[in-house]
Amino acid sequence: MKTLKLLFLSFLIISLSSCSDDDEPLLDVVSNKVINFHAPQAGGMGQPITGEFAKFSFATGVQSSSSTEWDIGFRGTTIIVNGGTATGTADEPTRNGQGGAYVASGTMASVLDVDTTKFKQDASSALAITTGSGNGWYTYNGQSHVISPTPGKILVFKTHDGLYAKIEILSYYKDSPASPNAFTDPSRYYTFNYIYQPNKGQTSF
Amino acid sequence: MNNLFLIIVSSIIFFLLFLNHSYAQVSNLEVDSTNVQTLKEVIISATRVERQLSSLPLPATIISKKAISRSNSNTLNQILQSQTGLTTVPDFGGGEGLQMQGLDSQYTLILLNGSPLIGRSAGTFNLKRINLGNIRQIEIVKGASSSLYGSEALAGIINIVTEKPTVGLSNYINYSLSTHNSNDFSYSMNNLLNNTGFDFFFNRNSSDGYDLNENDELMTVDPFVNYTINGSLTYDLKDKTKFSLSTRYYNNVQDNVASSSLKGLSEIDEWNTNFKINYSPNSKWDSFLELYLTNYLAKENLNNLDGSLYDESFYDHSLFKPELRNIYRISNNKIIVGGIGLSIEKLNRTYFEVKPIFKSPYIYIQYDYYPIEDLNLIIGSRFDSHNKYKSQFSPKLALRYKINEKISTKFSLGYGYKAPDFRQLYFDFTNSLVGYSVLGYNVAVESISLMQSQGKISNIIYSLDDLKGELKAENSISFNLGFNYILNSEISFDLNIFRNTIKDLIDTRVIANKTNGQNVFSYYNVNNVFTQGLEFNSKWNPSNSLTINSGFQLLYAKDSDAIKSFNNGEVYARKNPNSPAFQLKKKDYFGLYNRSRTMINININYDLFQKNIELNLKGKYRSKYGIIDSNYNNFLDSYDEFVNGYALIDFTLNKKINKKYNVGFGIDNVFDFKDYQNITNISGRIFYAKLNLNFNQ
Repeated sequence: MKTLKLLFLSFLIISLSSCSDDDEPLLDVVSNKVINFHAPQAGGMGQPITGEFAKFSFATGVQSSSSTEWDIGFRGTTIIVNGGTATGTADEPTRNGQGGAYVASGTMASVLDVDTTKFKQDASSALAITTGSGNGWYTYNGQSHVISPTPGKILVFKTHDGLYAKIEILSYYKDSPASPNAFTDPSRYYTFNYIYQPNKGQTSF
Repeated sequence: MNNLFLIIVSSIIFFLLFLNHSYAQVSNLEVDSTNVQTLKEVIISATRVERQLSSLPLPATIISKKAISRSNSNTLNQILQSQTGLTTVPDFGGGEGLQMQGLDSQYTLILLNGSPLIGRSAGTFNLKRINLGNIRQIEIVKGASSSLYGSEALAGIINIVTEKPTVGLSNYINYSLSTHNSNDFSYSMNNLLNNTGFDFFFNRNSSDGYDLNENDELMTVDPFVNYTINGSLTYDLKDKTKFSLSTRYYNNVQDNVASSSLKGLSEIDEWNTNFKINYSPNSKWDSFLELYLTNYLAKENLNNLDGSLYDESFYDHSLFKPELRNIYRISNNKIIVGGIGLSIEKLNRTYFEVKPIFKSPYIYIQYDYYPIEDLNLIIGSRFDSHNKYKSQFSPKLALRYKINEKISTKFSLGYGYKAPDFRQLYFDFTNSLVGYSVLGYNVAVESISLMQSQGKISNIIYSLDDLKGELKAENSISFNLGFNYILNSEISFDLNIFRNTIKDLIDTRVIANKTNGQNVFSYYNVNNVFTQGLEFNSKWNPSNSLTINSGFQLLYAKDSDAIKSFNNGEVYARKNPNSPAFQLKKKDYFGLYNRSRTMINININYDLFQKNIELNLKGKYRSKYGIIDSNYNNFLDSYDEFVNGYALIDFTLNKKINKKYNVGFGIDNVFDFKDYQNITNISGRIFYAKLNLNFNQ
């Protein structure tokens, strides 16, 4: 009986999604905030960085353990997408989706359209979200050792299944303290706002 | 070093007793040099020929010996920061660098009797190295002076002029004791007999340092002891030829503490020797041959608690500079100055794979004349050829027009530059703790290739071809327009409007990523900045015993590319670290770090009881400035945290007891201002007392 219900449901979904775009009601754009998304790593400080990436799915809005149903992955300050090839560091997941990313300048309110020409995929030479202070999403302070999300950097993503999302990272420290202390506040806990466009082919948020 | 101190002091005392007898007859010939100075202040460094300050077409000031002794300053940083438009910026280990016309310490050339002083830490010249005990005058020339001095004279120059032998024996002892157990002892002796003269100076300066933040294990300034020994000899041969030999030695030893378990010493040894022959066959010609040699050696070590070595580094820099200079006076109002010389610089230091040598021959010429009676024109230029970077041609034009007896105007336009320094060209450093690397421009390609072959490079951001070619010298066009207004014998005003347009500033950028996740940095020409503003000075002598000097500087120091980014709306900020970002407006750009919009200084001298008591009150105000980009958008904007504006008041009382003794007492920073987080060179209120002994009366 359960199987029958499921079958019926999937049939319904398939038939709905196969309708022409004109009469299909668009799904609402998802706007959400993720708090304390933990992205641990091992190594660093001159040693090779290792450890599993914490994967995130925009469709579910939570961490993903699936090897295919994930869009972006976090490990320390490194962010990868489910698209392209591995850079060659240890413990990288296989990219099997069509994901990509670019960094836009602006605010969540001002980055309203996806520029599909800008997407890059991860490659052996460089990640789509380039690493290092000032290159990607964060700025590192050599004196206080604090990692701060650079204001005005919006990360625009293509999900593994070709949809679009944008995020603004707000903090790299647990419970996003107002003035983080690199020595006492636990780091590698992301807090970010995201907006997810769940409709195929829609390039605006 | 303490033993050396004792030996020197005892030999001085012995020497004094001896000299007091043998030279007793000549001592009454002593000339009161201070009176001569106030009548006619003469500046040497501005044009390389003695010139009356008041008629000079350049923005320049002189700090006289009298002003130095009145202020009770012991070191150069103390006296310079009370001058209009100058401020000092704290550096590592308690050092202080100068900011002039809004430009950093690395762009001001510091000269000792006209010869350049070397020994900078990442570009900063620590002004505390210069003791004021035997300084006859300090000359400050603002605006690019590369047309005479070449590299580093981009913002201007500071020339320190030491005592020269004068007729009649003089010998002095000065001692002062102040808060933080700071001791300053000097002894000086000077005489000119027939055609032989000498000057000797010894100074010991020490302090226990201070700690502004008791919560950490480090002191703000660690204890130090330093010694300065300066000697010069002059010999006149038949009135036409003069020889002079002067040498200065400086040694500073300071505790070097990195943590409670890592301690060591940091030591500086500096030598300067200058040999000069002056030949003047007649009143029109003056020829100088100068041989200048200087060496600066800085060493640092850190030891573990068990005494084993943790880390050590050294920096050994030397300069040899022979120069031939001629002065030809065509007539009273037409003077040509020309010089030809060679500068050879060497550096040997930790983190350098090579021992680079800079060789730079140069030539300069300057014509100073009056095309019409009230117009003085100076045209000069200098050419520096160099073996490691692009050769430089530095022209300069200056004029002064006397509109009437009360008003005169000055204008100067010049090119200034600062050559890439050894560090920017040859640094080869990898941080052992974090793993990033910094490479000098000239060694970057080679070092990257080496790292690549060792498999340490994951990605090269700039193709190695982009890193070839020459790094350009930082250069500027400096503009000054001034007005001088003498209302009457009591009141006068000075206004100077300035702008320095600087191009090709050298900064670092990431040139490659390493496999350990860190970056490789190297130097490149990038920023275009400007500093502009105005300086206003007023002098008021309401009576013979009262002088009030005040000054004001308004400054805008900005990065031209940053202005563009703000204009294009590319800059964002957050109200607090976790709130969403918003776009900044044009007016939100504040400018460069460490620059205050306004600075005000006031200096009041008051004499009592036939000048037996001198009172001095000094005030200095600095408006707010930024030192960090607290919101991480790479710009200093109005949403960053600023260092609050502050004022410092100093009070001095000097009393003449009799002809032999002077005593002084003072309080620096009367209201005990402190900002331990941001201003490490202000230690709070300081009390001091000083004693001055003159043995020849």
